[in-house]
Amino acid sequence: MSRPANQVLGSRLAAGSPPPASSAPQRGRRRVRARRGRYGYVFALPFLACFALLFVLPLGYALYRSLFKTQLVGGTVFAGLANYTQALTDGQFLAGVSRVALFFVMQVPLMLVLALVAALAIDSGLLRLARLTRLGIFIPYAVPGVVAALMWGYLYGPDFGPAAQLAAKLHVTAPDFLGRTLMLPSIANIVTWEFTGYNMIVLYAALRTVPRELYEAAAVDGAGPWRIAWRIKVPALRPALLLTLMFSVIGSFQLFTEPDLLQSVAPTVIGPSYTPNLYAYSLAFTSQEPDYAAAVSFLLGLVTVIISYAVLYGASRRSRR
Amino acid sequence: MTVLRRRSNLLTVAMLVFLLYSFFPLFWLFISSTKTTGDLFSTFGLWFGHRFALISNIRLALTYSHGEYLRWLLNTLIYSVTSAVGAACLATFSGYGFAKYTFAGRNALLAAVLGTIMVPVTALAIPTYFLFSKVGLVDTPWAVILPSLVSPFGFFLMWVYARDAVNDSIMDAARIDGAGEMAIFFRVSLRSLAPGFVTVVLFTLVATWNNYFLPLIMLSDSKYFPITVGLSVWESETAGGGGSNSALTSMVVTGAMLSVIPLIVAFIFLQRYWQSGLSAGAVKE
Amino acid sequence: MQIPEKRFTRRGMLALTGAAAAGLAIDACSSSSSSSGATATASGTVSQSEINKAMKTPTTLTFWTWVPDISKEVAVFERQYPAIKINVVNPGQGTPLYTKLRTALDAGKGTPDLSQIEYQYIPTFSILKGFVDLRPYGAAANAGKFVDWVWRQVTGPNGEIYAYPQDTGPMGMLYREDIFAKHRISVPATWDDFATAAHKLHAADSGTYLTNTADNEVAAWHGLMWQAGSRPYTVHGTTVGLALDDAASKKVANYWGGLVADGVISTDPDFTSNWYQGLDTGKYASWLTGAWGPAFLAGAIKSTAGKWRAAPLPQWNSGQQVAGNWGGSTNAVIKGTQYPIAAAKFAEFLNTNPTTTAMFNTQQSLFPSLKSLLSSASFSSYKSPFFGGQQANKLFAQISATVNVNWQWPPFLDQSITDWTATVGKALGSKSNVAAATTQWESQLASYAKAQGFHVTTS
Repeated sequence: MSRPANQVLGSRLAAGSPPPASSAPQRGRRRVRARRGRYGYVFALPFLACFALLFVLPLGYALYRSLFKTQLVGGTVFAGLANYTQALTDGQFLAGVSRVALFFVMQVPLMLVLALVAALAIDSGLLRLARLTRLGIFIPYAVPGVVAALMWGYLYGPDFGPAAQLAAKLHVTAPDFLGRTLMLPSIANIVTWEFTGYNMIVLYAALRTVPRELYEAAAVDGAGPWRIAWRIKVPALRPALLLTLMFSVIGSFQLFTEPDLLQSVAPTVIGPSYTPNLYAYSLAFTSQEPDYAAAVSFLLGLVTVIISYAVLYGASRRSRR
Repeated sequence: MTVLRRRSNLLTVAMLVFLLYSFFPLFWLFISSTKTTGDLFSTFGLWFGHRFALISNIRLALTYSHGEYLRWLLNTLIYSVTSAVGAACLATFSGYGFAKYTFAGRNALLAAVLGTIMVPVTALAIPTYFLFSKVGLVDTPWAVILPSLVSPFGFFLMWVYARDAVNDSIMDAARIDGAGEMAIFFRVSLRSLAPGFVTVVLFTLVATWNNYFLPLIMLSDSKYFPITVGLSVWESETAGGGGSNSALTSMVVTGAMLSVIPLIVAFIFLQRYWQSGLSAGAVKE
Repeated sequence: MQIPEKRFTRRGMLALTGAAAAGLAIDACSSSSSSSGATATASGTVSQSEINKAMKTPTTLTFWTWVPDISKEVAVFERQYPAIKINVVNPGQGTPLYTKLRTALDAGKGTPDLSQIEYQYIPTFSILKGFVDLRPYGAAANAGKFVDWVWRQVTGPNGEIYAYPQDTGPMGMLYREDIFAKHRISVPATWDDFATAAHKLHAADSGTYLTNTADNEVAAWHGLMWQAGSRPYTVHGTTVGLALDDAASKKVANYWGGLVADGVISTDPDFTSNWYQGLDTGKYASWLTGAWGPAFLAGAIKSTAGKWRAAPLPQWNSGQQVAGNWGGSTNAVIKGTQYPIAAAKFAEFLNTNPTTTAMFNTQQSLFPSLKSLLSSASFSSYKSPFFGGQQANKLFAQISATVNVNWQWPPFLDQSITDWTATVGKALGSKSNVAAATTQWESQLASYAKAQGFHVTTS
């Protein structure tokens, strides 16, 4: 069942774009299509219902709470947008935001490039042990936080970590991974280690949908595997790449787990507001200020939305080239 | 015409380096679980200690406190598999619907879902607890499973995936043959969606397997704990715990290592579904 | 996402002692339970007949605790009162339990009948009215059984009794006898001696420090402030007096700040792999810790068995004997319980009965808070092999008697911990002015307290 390459390509490009406008005689067909289109609701309903119940409802309640102020003494009072204005002038919150923004710029491009290269490499058939590579790169994502904490606490250890011990043998000072200057790169390293595989899998699964006929057609035209990768695969991956980019924006700005697990080994470098998400957490659970925590969370959400749009806009501008 | 495929050594070496980087900390994990607690803190981390204690560590981890690790393992299995399959079904169903059908408010809904996940879930923990306690679900397995059924990332993944993986013309052909939309989904489209479905299963499996925060908040009774929470209970017992729990640190490490194994097995088992894409004559490794 | 386990509670505050497991004979008299014959003392109390009736009514109590294997002690109670069943639940150690307790109290649902609460968290929950006052259930009769300062910790400003003490952690100094001998250092009796020894040791061996003042260990720091006579928190209902930089506190800060600045004391965060290895390799020649320290060391750093000895903390004034406390827990009855009588009596039994309290010591290595147990022959005479045969119990029992009785905790301890780490801890780690950091600590905490509606007075 092989089709000519251009027809396949044509239908791929058409998928996901709305049906073209039709003239009067085709109104009947349009109605059928519209009715068929509404079938989408049926498919979408189960997920949306659960989503509404388990996400939107608690979020709504949290939003409601963010309009109040609870004190240990004095109970709860309505505060309107006071929590939000407080957060916007809160130095700890703002510092956290700039920190995760820096983190995003530093870590995400590197990780996505690595993931892309890995996915392409595995898909290309040029790799020995491709299956092992696929498994191996993904495995870090499967390591639970408790373990990662122990592990990285050791690996970054200033006295007994491998880098430190090696440096001692060579009579040089090892870099202070857990010190103030290197902390963000150290965290970036952990996140890259953890999530490159995750992103690679997403890209790889998307690569699997590219019809092989395209490659054969290109090979007939004399294109080598590298050319094929650049000209066919990467463009085909655009939606998946945008998806991983989106996830990475969200992941970066919501950074929590990795700084949290390093907090026990570097408690004075990673304070309770190192990242905005960590700040929301400590406000809720340490300082007993859940309403302010909710406001901080929503504000962070807003920042993330703005950045995502900026990134998406930038990405789509580039593609129009 | 057969295409001569030369393996690229450069690429292989580069990937090998990457592999080493990925495996390196896990190597540490394995080495550490062969050590006794005493050795853990006194020998070089990346090589074996004075005693090879892997078997005794494993035995200790599995039998400690009336085998509570095994109970935790069972819990984790139940939570993860249920959530993974459930989440993948929901995500696939709806991702497909959004990708292949045009309906009013589609884009608005997409934007709404995307916007919602931009709010960090830390804000959700206490409100969700409150809502669940109102309906008496707190301290039950449902408190962990239900929230995990909703995977917005899985949904978006399937949405992107379904757009490309399922051929519109094949769907139209089936319609001409008189098939209903549901029939088309189950008989025609699902096969193409398999790799994406498997991906979501895998991701949700891992995410729920390693979920710590949610079960910690929702569960009080340790008989419902998943491994993540259980291990951290052990870990906190090591620092200042009773003198009888001297080997706990090595147990934590061993327990953690053991808990990664099922995920590896799941991955190996599931990855063959990536082979079966819609590609005929696929490039084989 | 993970909830960081606050270092303060991580040591489990299960005060331990080198008297683990074998070799300890238990004093007999197991059947005479002190609780069943409880005499109703304070006015407005529950009558004895009501108590008897409650103890015979089939009841199930939910008990939150992280003490391992506590079912053994619980079984003793259940044998005595077969109508009452205890459902033991372990929701996690320290912070996870407190978080769940707080959320449940807030939601009004899901609270246990009883819970383990460490001393330092009592005000945090009493301000939320989370405890049932135990006075109507005959608690006051037990006052004399416990070491004085311990009883003070569980009583409220108007005489309320919030909980029954279980175990404690009076602070002492555990030191490496072999390292001291090698460098000819005698056991310092005063802090001045300690400072001299610190310089001497580090000069002789630059890889060794006399001790480690962890920059994350706010509990130990509080213990040292406690010893010095500081009174950082004074609480009267919703009025809180903060004196985090009082003279005693500044004295402690300047002392340690100086030693740290001189580079003779290290400030590594504790209970990390790095720190364990430091203990193992002899990087730290001593550890200032609670009475649970010996059992902890015996379990974690086996390779150093036999090399440690115990001594009291060095003193500020020669000839004095004063100590602070680090750790220990209580059992409290939680508001909302349907069975206050049964719960109160259970808590009383568990923590005053000779059998169960002795078991706490021998089975779980908890350091006692009961005077009778502390002075019992079997307890005192135990010779710890990890400590080269020293009678560590006896020493710590003596120390326990010297803990300063005047010490209060604030109703917002978690915030104080965070602020301490950001100010004093940071100053320790970066070798800057620690005394100034205590003032910062106070001002940060004061602004928090004011924002929370407390009336705050600062020194």
